[in-house]
Amino acid sequence: MSDLMSPSSRRFNIKIGSGALVCEEAILKGDITIGSHTVVHPRASIIAEAGPIIIGEGNIIEEMSTIINRISPDDTGTPVQIIGNYNVFEVDSTCEASKVGDNNVLECKAYVSKQVELTNGCVIGASCSLRDEEVVPENTIIYGSQCHRREMNDKPYPQLGQLEYLMKMLLGYHHIYKPNMPPPKTESST
Amino acid sequence: MAYLFQIDCVRYACSCGSLKSIAKIYFCRHCLSIRCGYCVCHEVDSYYCSNCLENPPASEVRLKKYKCSNCFDCPCCFETLSIRSGQVLVKSLHTTQEESKPVTKKIYYLSCTLCRWSSRDAGIPDQTVATGSWREQESPNTYRITALINFYKILGSIEKQQKERKKFQSKRIFLQFEKFGITSTMARKRVGQLPLLQSNTQSDQPQPSEASEEIEELSQDIFTKSIDITKITTLDQRLQHPELQVENINELRPQRKQFIVKRSQRCRFCEHTVSKPDYCPTSTKFKIQLAAFYHVPELRIVACEPLRLGYSSELLLKFCNPTQHQTQIILLSMDTPMMPTTTTLQGIKEEINRENVQMGCDSPNLLPSAVRQAIVVEEGRQVNIVINAEVILPSSSFILPPRDDAAEYDDPSDSQNSQDDPKLVVWRKGNKAIIRLDVIPYVDKDKMVKDEPIVVGLAMQYGYINTIATLEHKAPQKLDLKVKLFLTLGNLVHNIL
Repeated sequence: MSDLMSPSSRRFNIKIGSGALVCEEAILKGDITIGSHTVVHPRASIIAEAGPIIIGEGNIIEEMSTIINRISPDDTGTPVQIIGNYNVFEVDSTCEASKVGDNNVLECKAYVSKQVELTNGCVIGASCSLRDEEVVPENTIIYGSQCHRREMNDKPYPQLGQLEYLMKMLLGYHHIYKPNMPPPKTESST
Repeated sequence: MAYLFQIDCVRYACSCGSLKSIAKIYFCRHCLSIRCGYCVCHEVDSYYCSNCLENPPASEVRLKKYKCSNCFDCPCCFETLSIRSGQVLVKSLHTTQEESKPVTKKIYYLSCTLCRWSSRDAGIPDQTVATGSWREQESPNTYRITALINFYKILGSIEKQQKERKKFQSKRIFLQFEKFGITSTMARKRVGQLPLLQSNTQSDQPQPSEASEEIEELSQDIFTKSIDITKITTLDQRLQHPELQVENINELRPQRKQFIVKRSQRCRFCEHTVSKPDYCPTSTKFKIQLAAFYHVPELRIVACEPLRLGYSSELLLKFCNPTQHQTQIILLSMDTPMMPTTTTLQGIKEEINRENVQMGCDSPNLLPSAVRQAIVVEEGRQVNIVINAEVILPSSSFILPPRDDAAEYDDPSDSQNSQDDPKLVVWRKGNKAIIRLDVIPYVDKDKMVKDEPIVVGLAMQYGYINTIATLEHKAPQKLDLKVKLFLTLGNLVHNIL
């Protein structure tokens, strides 16, 4: 693991799609693929411990949030953590879920454990945690200190305005990794 | 008032017998005793909406049914809903000259920031105006309720009329039957006969409600159909709107936000206000705030050695003087009389009764006596708390200097009070002092309830300067007041056998 820390090997393992904005202050470890138009804030950590992490398009990964592919004893082979498109990981949220669909929102300090699979359009409310094995049905909202559940009629809108704004702002104040993946034509094959 | 740390470790006995932390009690400067929320009169000063801070006059509030007309609560999680705006393309209907251009129009919908409920979810159409156009959910019983209210209003007015008529006619004894619509001769004839049936049955009397035995049949699959919990309302959600109690989540409708009140509190014994907030809803300040926190020395537990049955443990207590005057603190046993005392010039101790406490004006309640709430004074209740440890009380007293806000920034000077008993006072800074006491849990095993925390009780006598007297150009009265304290010290350490 220690050689992962050296800049050269780190750069080697991280694939960044065109138009993605990944700040250099972000903590990235292991084999990570970040899709185009995804924003990774400084101090966000993406840690591919057990296997590679593949992150789709247009996600926002905010400060102090953690996406981690954790090693667990009952793993067979190398598990791949796949995160879809247009998800938002708010400040200090932790996502260990092996599979995350599209348009999900993890609010501040939310926690999703490894056994959970998020489908599409789910909102894990602030400070809510999901620890038991389950597949969260589409458009589920979990909110409040009691982790109440509710189904919403439509999924949360993708944060396009926010993405556009962040692209402008973060670029002006932070060093970023250069995208090193060919444009989206071939990217779709990954 | 919120209180940091030690929420209920140190409790003060209120004069009504309840035990509360110092942050929750008041000190009536006029009766020189401790009052709490249970033994003061609560008076509503004003109503306001906690969201938009609107405060309408009381008469309007009643018309609005104590609910804000602009703000809504989420029916799902009871948080305040926020109004969101969006834009929608609308084809203008004027197809007169040019080809109609799509016009962007602002629309508004309600959405909850906590559970993401939105008025669109519930199928409520978007509005073109931000406030005021949201329709309130009609209660199915509105018609019946208004009919009943009207009927009882009529009854009330009839009763009032009768009372007034009685007032006038009571003097005319010779026409005693007139009020029943009969003359005295008719009355004499009617003696012994059946009473007349009341003919003037009100035509507008509402239909009495009838109980029916038939109930709706349950559907066949009631026991077999699997339930989707996310689509059924919870008990809380139903009870939030008791008039409707909808069953399905998608039938929930936003509800108007209830007003909350600013209230002032008045001592029941002397009718002086102990707490009065600023009238303005944006202000969090008080016009009058006689919290005990500003008048009675505050006691905190600093440390306590592990408690063992029959063995003495060291207990460190921190005292803090919040007043502008120096105070002398004496710790006494629980059974000392609680009457305030004063020391006269001759050095004689004297008990203070309510009569010779220097008070301001007699009753400061400015409300006319007809409006005034009748004040009910209850006898103090017995404090029923089991004290299961003994405190070895110090023989000497100690002095707390007055509070000085600037002193916090000065260098501590240790020489300020050298006559302290070094065995008692461990530490001292500004208006605070830490003292050391010994605590012995009782060995009496019959009284001990298993795993009950150890509670000690003591009475604190503190010096208090009655500054109300200075307003009347008298010398401030020096008093010695007492308060009972109960300290919860935690559980016993299990004996190592």
